[in-house]
Formats: sequence, C-alpha cells, structure tokens
Amino acid sequence: MKKKILSVLLSTAMVAGILAGCGSSADNAPADNAPAEEAPAEEAPAEEAPAEEAPAQATGDKIVYWSMWDAAEPQAQAISQSIEAFTAETGIEVDLQFKGRTGIREGLQPALDAGTNIDLFDEDIDRVNTTWGSYLLDLEELAKANDYESTANAGLMAACREVAGGTLKSIPYQPNVFAYFYNADIFEEAGVTAVPTTWDEFLDACQKIKDAGYTPITNDNAYIASLFGYHMSRLIGEPATEEVVKNGDWDNEAVLKTAQAYEELASKGYFSETIESNQWPAGQNTELAMGTAAMYLNGSWLPNEVKDIAGEDFNWGCFSYPAVDGGVDGTEASNYGAQVFAINAKSEKAEQAFQLITYLTKGEADKLLSDMSVGIPADSNNAEWPALLSNVKPVMDSLSTRYPWGAGAEANADMTPIIVENFTKLCGGSLDAQGFVDALKAAGN
Amino acid sequence: MKKNKTMIVAFLAPAVIMFAIIFIYPIIRTVAMSFFKIEGVTDAVSKWQFSGLANYIKLFNTQLFRISMWNIFRIWLFGGIIVMGLALLFAAILTSGIRFKSGFRAIIYMPNVVSAVALATMWLQYAFSPKFGLFKSIGDLLHWKWLSKFQWLDPSHLFLALLVAYCFGMVGYHMLIFASGIERIGTEYFEAATLDGANRIQQFRYITLPLLKGVTKTNITMWSVSSAGFFLWSQLFSMVVSNTQTITPVVYMYQNIFGAGNSMTERNSGIGAAVGVLLSVCVVVIFIVCDKIFKDDDIEF
Repeated sequence: MKKKILSVLLSTAMVAGILAGCGSSADNAPADNAPAEEAPAEEAPAEEAPAEEAPAQATGDKIVYWSMWDAAEPQAQAISQSIEAFTAETGIEVDLQFKGRTGIREGLQPALDAGTNIDLFDEDIDRVNTTWGSYLLDLEELAKANDYESTANAGLMAACREVAGGTLKSIPYQPNVFAYFYNADIFEEAGVTAVPTTWDEFLDACQKIKDAGYTPITNDNAYIASLFGYHMSRLIGEPATEEVVKNGDWDNEAVLKTAQAYEELASKGYFSETIESNQWPAGQNTELAMGTAAMYLNGSWLPNEVKDIAGEDFNWGCFSYPAVDGGVDGTEASNYGAQVFAINAKSEKAEQAFQLITYLTKGEADKLLSDMSVGIPADSNNAEWPALLSNVKPVMDSLSTRYPWGAGAEANADMTPIIVENFTKLCGGSLDAQGFVDALKAAGN
Repeated sequence: MKKNKTMIVAFLAPAVIMFAIIFIYPIIRTVAMSFFKIEGVTDAVSKWQFSGLANYIKLFNTQLFRISMWNIFRIWLFGGIIVMGLALLFAAILTSGIRFKSGFRAIIYMPNVVSAVALATMWLQYAFSPKFGLFKSIGDLLHWKWLSKFQWLDPSHLFLALLVAYCFGMVGYHMLIFASGIERIGTEYFEAATLDGANRIQQFRYITLPLLKGVTKTNITMWSVSSAGFFLWSQLFSMVVSNTQTITPVVYMYQNIFGAGNSMTERNSGIGAAVGVLLSVCVVVIFIVCDKIFKDDDIEF
C-alpha cells in the first residue's frame, strides 16, 4: 500500500513539475525574431537577432522597462548607455528588456493582461494611446509636479493629449515627420530655387528635374499609399479621407481628382521607370540615395536609413506635401509624431518610472539618442539638430495640423493592399485614373 | 502483472492533462472566439461580444480575404507540383549512384540552412531587381529582351516571384525525404529488373514510384501543413504593408489580431479565430483526400 501511495505522489509531482515548467515561460514574452511588420525606422530586415533580454529574474526592486527597439539598433544602444548613467546617478535600477517592434506589438497586451510586472514601455504615439489606452497611467500630475513641460515640444505634447482623449498619458521622444525628402543638389542643378508649396510649383519642379536628366519622384511599395492619402487629405482633409477609405465611398470626387493628378504625373514621366517594381527599400536605396531620383515622400528617419549609401556629402532637403487648388489643407498639415513612453496604470513605481522618462527625454540622454540615431531631439533646449536633419526643422516648426499615419490612406486594413496595388499601377502608367477608381469600387463587392 | 487502476490513472494522467491543456483547450477556445467580436486577443471573456456567424460572413464578403485564400491555394497547388516534381527528380538522380552525391545533396539542401530573411532579401533586392538583377543580367547576356525586361516585382508578377523564391528554398527538404524513401527500397528489386531487361526509366516507373507511395503521402502532408501556415515569406515579400499578390490567410489573421502596417486599424481577434478555424477545416479536408488517394501501404518490402 505504501508503495502505491508513493507512486501516486511521485506521478502527481511529475505532472506538477511539467505544468510548472510550462507556466513559467509566461514571463519570457516572445523574443523578437520575426522580421516582418517592421516599423519603417528599421534600416534593414533584422536578421533573426535574438532580443537581448535580461534573464527573468526577481525584479522586485527594479523598474521594468519593455522597449520597442532591437538591441542592435542605435536607439537601443543610446538608451542602454543612458540608463547605465541614470542608475549610477540615482541608484534606481532598471530591468531593461529590448522586445523589438513585433515583440511589443504582439506581446505587450497579453503580458499586461496576465499581470506581468511591467512599469514602463514605449511604442508609436498612436498605438500606445489608442490600442493600449486603457492600460496607461494618467501622467498629468506627475508632469506638473516635475515641471516636465517647460522644455518639451509643445506641439507633440498637444498631440499626445489629443490622441489620448484630452489628457496626458504618454511622453513623446524621437519625434518624426513625414514629408517630401529631396536631393538638394539635383534641385540646384535643375534650377529649382525654392521648394514647391503648390501643386503647380510641384509640377514645374518635376519638369525641370526631368529636363535635367533625373527621375523626379520615386517611392516604394511600403509608403506609396501615403501619396494617395496626402493628396486626398489636401483636397478634403484627413478626417474626410479616412471616412472615404473606411466606408468605401469611392464615388467621392476627390478620389477621381487625386487619381487624375497622379495620372498626369505618370503620363509626363515624372515617376521612376521601375516604380511598379520597387519593393522597399529598392527605391530609397538604389534611386534616391544613389542620386538618380530627386524626391521621396517619407519619414525623417530616411536620412539615417540610407546614410551609408548616400554618403556624407548628400545634401538633404525637406518640404511639406504641396497644397492643391481648392483644397482644405495646406502645407501646415502633415503626419508627424513620435515614439512615446507610457507607464502601466498598475505600476507601483510610477514616480521612479517617470523620473527615468524625464532623464531619457531631456538633456544629455536626449542629445545622445538624437546623435546616435540621427533623430530629432525631444528636449526643446537641445536646439541643435543632427546635420542631416537641419532642413527638417523649418518643416516641423511650420506644422499645426496632425495627420495620422498615411494621412488616412491605410485606415482600412481590408483595402490597403488593394489601394497599394492599384495606386502603384496608376503611378507606373499601367492604369488610368478612371481605372483606378473602378478597381477600388470593384473591391467593395 | 496485476492490473491496478490507480497506477493506470496515475501514469496516463500527465499525458492526458497535457494534451487537454495544450491541444483541446485552445481548439475549443478558438472555435468559441470565432463567434465573438473581441478586440484584444487576451481580453477577458466578459468583454467578448457575441456576434454569431458575423465573423464568417464578413470573411466571405471581404475581397482581400478571398484573395488570400486564392493565393494560398495557388501556392499549395502550383508550388506543390513544382517542389514535389523537382524534389523527386533530384532524389532519383542522387540515389542513382552518381559521383559527388553528398556534395550535390548538400548544395540542394543549402537554402534550408540559410535564414529565410537573408534568402528573401537576396531574391528581392538582387535576383529580381529590374536594374541589376540576376535575371536581367542573364537576359542581357543571352540577348533575351523578354527576360531582361521582365518586371518580376510589379503588382502583376509579384506572386510568380514569390513562388519561384519559395520553391527554391523548399525543394531540398522534400528531396531528402524522397531520397530516404528511395534508399529504403532494396537493391535486389532493381537487380532483378535489370536482369529482366527493364531500363532505368522503367525501373523508376514500376518499382520506385509505387514503393514511394507512403513517402509521397508524408511529403504532401508536410507541404500542406507548411502551406496553410504560410506567413514569413509573405511578410518578407511585402514589407510594412501587405500586398494583394502575397497576402495569405495567416497574414490576414495577424492583421486582424495585431493591426495592419503602421496604421491604427480595427482589431478583431474573433475574425482571426474564424480564419484559423477555416484553415483547419481546409487542412483536414486535404488530409482526408490524401488518405483516400494514397491508401495505407498495401505493398510490403
């Protein structure tokens, strides 16, 4: 009988052991080795680099920070360095875990739901505030108590409040702006003396560039829908564009007008000959950075991404998407944003976490991040931007209306690939304006 | 040995409990989720909103999902024919006693060792490049204008490019399975056939092929499973935003669960679950058909 009881006990222990072994993996959120669905700031498809995760140790007295960067990226290196300095200065220890974009995107919400101890995390301004809005601690009081806003970018702070429904739930860093980036040397050689602010000036500039023997505009599949979104939003505003895209209102005359504008660009030969075949990053790397194409609508991370190809002597220019005749929005509107830090509403170390956020987004640490990643500084006292981005500053300063990503063109996931396919054909000249509209209409059936 | 119920229960319990937790529970939960509208994949059940068959109806009414199903079918069928055909051919050649057998085998298997990310980058940014690509160079060399001008990556041909690149990487794996199946066949059959005057092709047709039935079934099953979960290559061939030529149901599922691209799009894990259920049904159907076509080995050797 004794033997029997012993065997049953041993078997039970084995089952419990196996189950416990499975259970403990919950803390080790999925390591980021999926390269897909990267945020565009990534330079090249990350090669299954295992995220450098701190071992899942008892983190009782440490701030736990889940970061959106991959350990090998310059942003991650800058943040690591700054956090070491922070710990040395304040004695507050930080458990820094680089999850990568996909790791955060797929793993954060399940981890928060499971009650994982995470004090602080970061991601894109829109995703943090909309997708994870209900998990965030309201930061208004902490910001006020620490006088945070005296040296913060007012426009971005306002944007953070706007997306969080009127209150501050995130702190921006690594600001970015989405606009036309161009090769200033080609502009000069072609005799384009001022950046185009209207559609006519834009057409004029394209013609001059083409006459000078360069390709005026190029793009890649990853960003091409933004051309459609920006033009539509110039015509009828971003909220209306988003409505059209979400509801499939392709009869809206702005759709045809936009398509006609791009049909004209295509028919005049202003697009790269290979625009239909440009799979990111072919266009930005082999055309813009190599100096054969002049303009590319992209984010301010672009100069950093292509700096090794473009070389140090590449003269970057930047201008906001031109205004169009009879349109609602002008050059003051654009997609701009930032990565943002947010604190878990359940965090017991909110004050220390906010202290870390303040440390990382101000002064030396902010400057280090800006320098290492060729990014825009968040601290308004860091007035000196990296040289590659000096021409972006006037554009950023001139913006007052904020578009979300793609200016609404990608608001409907069921339509994005269909818009991309047909808009690419429109730019390549294998589809005309009416054909474009018809194709979108057909997709709704 | 005495039969002892307690011992039977105690020893079976671990396996049964693990099976229930790891297989049965997720299946039941996924099927249940497919009838609800659920924003976050880990939302508490109290937040689920019952929507009946709405998720399935929406899927069938969404052109993009239908496109994704068509893409996966094309990959399974055309890719399957190409990969199985080449794998069998290479396996037959390699086992025919040629020289440098292991060298050739290693070369054909090589793409399986290289990371898919590196392979896809090589194909996309080099081989298919319309400016300096491999195919363009070959076309230029041979003065084949149609080849050097061929736009592999435009919206009309991207699927073909994906298929070529994917099959290139998959042939080696299935070739190994075929080769091991062929090597299992005793040499005496071939010797006897040779004495009877059968040539190589006849031997292949009447000895190798029939005896490879079980292995072929294994290969088709493996191929079907990997096709149903086609995700990585689709993502690599359409960075950031998905593409009508490369989107597959699993990518569509991902977009519904985690959002698409960089935009904040509507999320519904219920739709994701419904996609999963539909894919499972497809795979089960394929298994049943396979079982019917390739009846269990009736030949013993």
